[in-house]
Amino acid sequence: MKDNVIIRFSNATIAYQHRTALTNINLEIYQGEFLGIIGPNGSGKTTLLKSILGLVRPTHGTVQIFDCACHKLRCHHKARIGYIPQKGQIDHNFPVTVMETVMMGRYSSIGLFRRPSNDDRELVKKALVEVEMDGYTDAPLGHLSGGQQQRVLIARALVQQPEVLLMDEPTTGIDTPTQYSMIKLISNLQKNLKLTVLLVTHDINMISPYVDRMALINTQLHAIGTPAEVLNEKVLSDIYGKQVVVATRSGGTYVIVGDYHHA
Amino acid sequence: MLEMLSYEFIQRALIASVIIGLVCSIIGVFVILRNLTFIGAGTSHAAFAGVTLGYLLNYNPLYFAVVFSLLTVWIVGYLNRMGYLKLDASVGIFYSLTMALAVLFIGLMKVYNAEVYGYLFGSILSVTKGDLAVILILGLAVLSLVYIFFKEFHFITFDEELAKASGIPAGWLSFLLLTMIAMTIVISLKSVGAILVFALIVTPAAAAYQLTYSMIRMFLYSAIIGIGSSVGGVFLSYWLDLPSGATTVLFVSALFFLSLILSPKRGYNS
Repeated sequence: MKDNVIIRFSNATIAYQHRTALTNINLEIYQGEFLGIIGPNGSGKTTLLKSILGLVRPTHGTVQIFDCACHKLRCHHKARIGYIPQKGQIDHNFPVTVMETVMMGRYSSIGLFRRPSNDDRELVKKALVEVEMDGYTDAPLGHLSGGQQQRVLIARALVQQPEVLLMDEPTTGIDTPTQYSMIKLISNLQKNLKLTVLLVTHDINMISPYVDRMALINTQLHAIGTPAEVLNEKVLSDIYGKQVVVATRSGGTYVIVGDYHHA
Repeated sequence: MLEMLSYEFIQRALIASVIIGLVCSIIGVFVILRNLTFIGAGTSHAAFAGVTLGYLLNYNPLYFAVVFSLLTVWIVGYLNRMGYLKLDASVGIFYSLTMALAVLFIGLMKVYNAEVYGYLFGSILSVTKGDLAVILILGLAVLSLVYIFFKEFHFITFDEELAKASGIPAGWLSFLLLTMIAMTIVISLKSVGAILVFALIVTPAAAAYQLTYSMIRMFLYSAIIGIGSSVGGVFLSYWLDLPSGATTVLFVSALFFLSLILSPKRGYNS
């Protein structure tokens, strides 16, 4: 796996007008791995994804994907990256159906001046089957539940036939059982379609059984490794600035973050 | 009715109504969905300032209307995109700035010019052959661009950042859309007027928004309402001897309130 680096951060610092979001990041992400990105609010998790997409560029160092500087990505590169942004409030009445939403994922591949073909429509149907939303083709997007909308947005990313999937808190605003089924779905898609998945989340406990590695960041990369390697109280306390308890039960590792007081 | 249609000025007014009603209602769908309603108001006042400068300098007012409205949408769009100022704040500044310029230019005119005030309130019955040619050419250009870039405009309207991340050139398409809004306002200025053109852009699309969950249907309903109210306004103003711009806006507003009553979205608007 280590021979196939698909994304590389080399001494990358990313700053906005009034603050530095990420400092001196050195990180290699391998083809076909499932990487969880963990950190508190404002730690630079979303910026990390946006830098890969070329939406923000490093002020120092480099960020590369497919051996190309991310801020120089062309359309054919971007078509290979599926992105599921942090889900904002979708306007309940916005005139867009499930089919139309997923088809948007094909637009960069179709190119300017062209219309979607039957092949594109077939790919959309296939993607909807993969996320188990094939019965909702003509439904208005705003009428679906939060979990269903998220599945549609995953289908929108899959229809690009991507090699890399970037997901920014895909389980936010969804009830707990649906969160688990969503993570399971993402894990299955990652394995079946051999995708490289970067998933930003706050929920360490939920993703730790599924990811290959975890990156713990708080403007800097504090730790990277398998969940067993990085989920320790010292590293997590450093990142969150609070007491952290790591407990092991029935083979699983559980993290409790908060103002924990010993009796 | 037939007698009315035999007049050349009525024929020109009806053709202009159909084109303006169609272009305004189509572009209005993007204006409504992208929350650009205030930019329409600001741009129409900027175009009016251009008209007054044209009259003051004794040049074709349309050229100045084009320059003023384009400068307004581009500067406002740039300030918003660069994060210097929110859209409504910068539009508000240009709205008052250009109106002040219009008042200044009118004040500098040595004689009273009634034609200038025609651009403020509109008079579709006074559309000339030359006006009609401009309306036709620019209207077709705007509609063609909507057709060509329909899927990209739909995507950036749904989620601009996602579109950008997917490789859609969202930045320049947004500026193209602003340019098309400015052109739509310019071609409607003489017929509907700087104050009322805004209603013809926003109201048909807002009415259509109430009636459907499909983007394609929203365009269709908006076009029907836009053309219907624009043509209906001409007939009503002729029969009732009322100002054409005001009649059209009252007509389209009535259709909007009807759409609110008939909306299948009632009860879902939480």
